[in-house]
Amino acid sequence: MSRAWGRLTLPGKVVFTLVPLLLVLSVALVIVIAVFGGAMLDILVANVGIVRFLVAVTILLLLAPPSAFIIIYMEMKIIALMNLRLGPDRVGPWGTLLSTVHGLKVLMKEDFTPTGADRIVFTWAPIVVFMASVMGALVIPFAPGLIAQDLNVGLLYFFAVGGLSVVGLLMAGWSSYNKYSLLGGLRSAAQMISYEIPLTLSVVGLLILAGTMSLNTIVENQGPWFTDWYVFQQPLGFVIFFIAATAEANRTPFDLTEADSEIVAGFATEYSGMRFGFFFFAEYINVFIMSALLVTLFLGGWQAPFPFPELHIALDPGSLGIWLLLGIAIVPVVATLVLAAPFYLLRSSTPWWQALIAGFLLFNVLAVGAVLGIAYVNFDFVAGILWFMGKTYAFVFVFVWMRGTLPRIRIDQLMGFAWKWLLPASLVNLFVTAAAIVVVGN
Amino acid sequence: MSLIPGFGMVRGMALTLRRFFEPKVTVRYPEVKPDIPHKFRGRLQLLYDEYGTLKCETCFQCAQACPIECIDMGGIDTKGRFHVHWGAAETYGERRDESALRRSGRPVPDAAYAHFEAADLSALEAILEEHDHDPAHMLQILEATQAAYGYLPVAALKRISQTTGAWYAMIYGTASYYRHLRFEPAADERQAEALSGRRPSEAAFLSGLDTALGGGSDRRGVN
Repeated sequence: MSRAWGRLTLPGKVVFTLVPLLLVLSVALVIVIAVFGGAMLDILVANVGIVRFLVAVTILLLLAPPSAFIIIYMEMKIIALMNLRLGPDRVGPWGTLLSTVHGLKVLMKEDFTPTGADRIVFTWAPIVVFMASVMGALVIPFAPGLIAQDLNVGLLYFFAVGGLSVVGLLMAGWSSYNKYSLLGGLRSAAQMISYEIPLTLSVVGLLILAGTMSLNTIVENQGPWFTDWYVFQQPLGFVIFFIAATAEANRTPFDLTEADSEIVAGFATEYSGMRFGFFFFAEYINVFIMSALLVTLFLGGWQAPFPFPELHIALDPGSLGIWLLLGIAIVPVVATLVLAAPFYLLRSSTPWWQALIAGFLLFNVLAVGAVLGIAYVNFDFVAGILWFMGKTYAFVFVFVWMRGTLPRIRIDQLMGFAWKWLLPASLVNLFVTAAAIVVVGN
Repeated sequence: MSLIPGFGMVRGMALTLRRFFEPKVTVRYPEVKPDIPHKFRGRLQLLYDEYGTLKCETCFQCAQACPIECIDMGGIDTKGRFHVHWGAAETYGERRDESALRRSGRPVPDAAYAHFEAADLSALEAILEEHDHDPAHMLQILEATQAAYGYLPVAALKRISQTTGAWYAMIYGTASYYRHLRFEPAADERQAEALSGRRPSEAAFLSGLDTALGGGSDRRGVN
């Protein structure tokens, strides 16, 4: 027994340990479901709200790191291109996996707590910041029907949860026992609280127009043409919201909380390993969520900019019968051969295998395009999520673009701008909107 | 335009967006090598060590290796005078010996500042006329010169370089490549005999050459 065990490689040891464990567990699961299945289903159905919440939070938490990776990669690549550099190009195609590798690296680093730090607060701060960022996505409608919870006070909830990240940053700054961290934390408190006021007030005019705080309803109001988007009725509100969102997400030119040329890394100075990773992820998820909220409120969310002509492909796969299976088997081969033919016939120097590869790749491109097109036409949420993600990432691009261009502003300019310009401007926007509604009579 | 608030920001954003689409300057070094002329050796520079002493040992290897004779040396002599040119290119080898002497603390012969001896060039002019000042006939010219003078004087080489237009270094290279061409008067007999005793076949070859060229065989006295 021990000799057989000794001959196993490391993966072998892992597999031979896990397989019996999985077998036992699955058998146990089957028995549990068979015995208590009905009762469990009843409990789940009875508590569908909680179940829905848990599923949504799990999905959001699972999707948060990949979207952060995408945005971090975008930032590295776009700023590099703007600096006339190439940027990441080694790990994965065009360097796309570099941010993922960074994430794994962060995961493997030592995670220490400095002497003198307030351990409990120090440990909880990144969690608070990360959760505050992720929980905001619970009320954002990604597509028609694709919303975790359509709260009737969705916008209020969003601002409430978003305001929680100040607490996290202040916790990190205070508990680190480091003057730079404290400076960063206090700066973040001052900045984010100041900018939350114009951020919230700039939306009030829009709320008067929409008559609701439910983000889903706000998106549904902005259709079907792009001229119905609220950005054309609330241009000033849009500009104020954009600037304040930049400050809320701690992005350049308002990134004073972690100004690395002034206070090392601000509140994150003493953090290392995955705790720092949580701050890092939270920052980029914040960028995504602020862009998403901007798109939801002012740019029609998942609405297409024009009503797409109604095309319904009347093809029921079930009616094909056995031909469906045969088609799945035959179509790729035939299409590959047909698409390879021109490559082979039109140029005498192309070997047959290269022509076949080209034909197969072309078939794949066409098939993916066809599948996406059919999905776009037949399923509203596919079209919605495509438009929503397109608009959101366009704004992520704008945030990154601003980071590649603008220098950081001074702290007194930052505060003066918030209180002397943005706040009066948002009040003017609110009064003008209210007056317009009274005059026009809605 | 600068009075419009935010216009500077718009211009900055436009600049970065233009840069975004411009060709990039990065060279992916191991895969892509920059296009550099094959004789390029980087920037020529004299380096100092950590004590502030010049690292150059005046070994003249750089000047010898320079394919276009662009490297030369200068320095301060014992009387504090600055000399730029330390001699003809063919004396660089001697300069190396000199620098070794200087570093070892032994006295250095003063020949560094002596120019080459003037020679009577009328015979050379006739030879050059005969070969039409053609650098393609360099070997024949050099052999005829050696036949006339017994060896290749520096003055003659300079003159050949002047009238044929060939680089001095190329002429020097040609002359130093062939064993039978020499830059000094032929060695005395005893040395030649000692050499021939050790390497008879080479001695026979050299004597044959000397006979063919009509110079030195009578003085060398090969058996």
